[in-house]
Amino acid sequence: MWFCLGSVINLPGFGWEIMMLIIGFLLIIAGAYCIIRTYHLLKIIIGMEIAMKAVTLLIILAGLVNGNLALAQSFVITIIVIEVVVAVVAAGIAVSLYKKYGSMEIRNLRKLKG
Amino acid sequence: MPILDYITVSFLVIPLIILVLNNLFSKQFVERINFKLVGVVAILQMALAVAGFSLLSAAHWEDYRFSLLWDWTMEEAGYFAVNSLSLVFLFCIGFVLLVAVLVAKATVEQRKTAFVNLVLTLLLGMNGMVMVRDLFSLYVFLEIVGISSFVLVALFQLETGLEGAFKYLVMSSLATVFILTGLAFVFMQTGSLQYAQAWADWLSVQGTAQLYTYLAFILLISGFALKTGVVPFHSWLPDAHQSANTAVSILLSGIVIKVAGIYGFIVLTKLFPGFPPVALALRILGLLSIVVGALFALRQTHFKRLVAYSSVSQMGYILLGLSSGTTLGFLGAMVHIFNHATFKSTLFTNAAALSAQAGTLELGELGGLEKKMPVTGFSSITAFLSTAGIPPLAGFWSKLLIIMALWKSEAEGFAAVALLASILTAAYFLRLQKKVFFGQLPEKFGAVTEIGGSVKFAELMLSAVNIAVGVGFPLILLFFEGRGLL
Repeated sequence: MWFCLGSVINLPGFGWEIMMLIIGFLLIIAGAYCIIRTYHLLKIIIGMEIAMKAVTLLIILAGLVNGNLALAQSFVITIIVIEVVVAVVAAGIAVSLYKKYGSMEIRNLRKLKG
Repeated sequence: MPILDYITVSFLVIPLIILVLNNLFSKQFVERINFKLVGVVAILQMALAVAGFSLLSAAHWEDYRFSLLWDWTMEEAGYFAVNSLSLVFLFCIGFVLLVAVLVAKATVEQRKTAFVNLVLTLLLGMNGMVMVRDLFSLYVFLEIVGISSFVLVALFQLETGLEGAFKYLVMSSLATVFILTGLAFVFMQTGSLQYAQAWADWLSVQGTAQLYTYLAFILLISGFALKTGVVPFHSWLPDAHQSANTAVSILLSGIVIKVAGIYGFIVLTKLFPGFPPVALALRILGLLSIVVGALFALRQTHFKRLVAYSSVSQMGYILLGLSSGTTLGFLGAMVHIFNHATFKSTLFTNAAALSAQAGTLELGELGGLEKKMPVTGFSSITAFLSTAGIPPLAGFWSKLLIIMALWKSEAEGFAAVALLASILTAAYFLRLQKKVFFGQLPEKFGAVTEIGGSVKFAELMLSAVNIAVGVGFPLILLFFEGRGLL
């Protein structure tokens, strides 16, 4: 199994790079699980953010593996800035929905169907 | 050639200048002129795209590179570039923006300044997306497009709009996660994300297709499929497109899903040339979208929702055209992008006219409006015939090119299903026409009149474009032949 994972990022054997890859994927899965299984608007936004932070981890890993870490770091800073904007927009929409319905329950959103 | 420099830079600078102007003066003054300004920007963009296209093809250049304030000739420096593909996209963006502004004059009554700001940001994002030459900048502009679309859908604070925007945002951020993870794998193996270098390096590692090649491919294709809204990633699309203001729906359905999604697919097909799963994945996604989108459209009861599902279905044709991997299929897909922009804008403009004059878009309540609203009825019928691929309207030609390309690339089964699915398209649009324009006129619509002003102008203009492209298409074919593309 370790061999198989090593071939994913083209690295021989088992090392901390593989560990980071596994942690990154686990965090993405945790974020996706959070989006699917919670029924609270803010929790969904938190899930989105967890998944996105995991992606920044993977990009740093990519920079480490190919030796171009400076470029990877500048990518990650850009991603963090953009993510904050997305999170702010999402929170703004969630607050507006809270004002309409009086709760953050996602099951209120049933106006659009079919 | 310095003039080409001015033209290309202005695609990015003009939206920025108008954005500043829109916020510089008092609100009363700005709200009188800002829609006109955006209209002028749209016409200017179309003119500049045509001028750039003719200059580029006169000089026989593949692409023209430029930057805004930095020296792009340095090693590993990022740069913008235009080629004929991006100029076609830029023209379509200008065209749809013009229609959206004409409709917005009638449908957007409050928050005009905010609306114009967001539309200009959207324009900047889309223009940037088709002109960047590395995958990371593509992601940055993709997010600009995404964020302005979310806020545009939610702008008017209606319950439906907020719901649609939230669904759109969650699905879109999932798409971002997929795309960025895929980018991380490409970056890990190549060390650069510039198209030219990444493509060359990626090819060499792709020769020995390994697990990470498949992983990167699956992640990237799911991300862009989510952004396009093809089946089975379509759940957000009808919600967002139905709940938005109609002018915003025109922008979203007419151009945003194509620039954010289909353009991504075009980049992908260049990143994975000759990788067998690409054609297969695009064909399966395309076929599913065509059939399932049309079947869902058959049972919708809301005008805009039906038209949104029709968008899902039509995106499938574009993917099938791209999947053939030949120049013919690519041309078919490009022409279908323009034609879809035309007829989908027509149908949403009709929705704006109907909701302004009759006050509802529920198909069950409408009926017999053909006599009362002749222009809307006529433009709706031309758009419907064009979508269903009835000659001699524009949609027929692009579907013909796509199906011919599929047939030639030995995918006869897919070509046959794409052909037969036109019957489904005709079925759901015939149902729409029957419910809205034919049959008995309900009592309460006795006093309905034809819409006037900018919406009527947009309907007439779009029908004229639709018919003109259809009738004049042999000339376009001759142009393709002259450039050695057919």
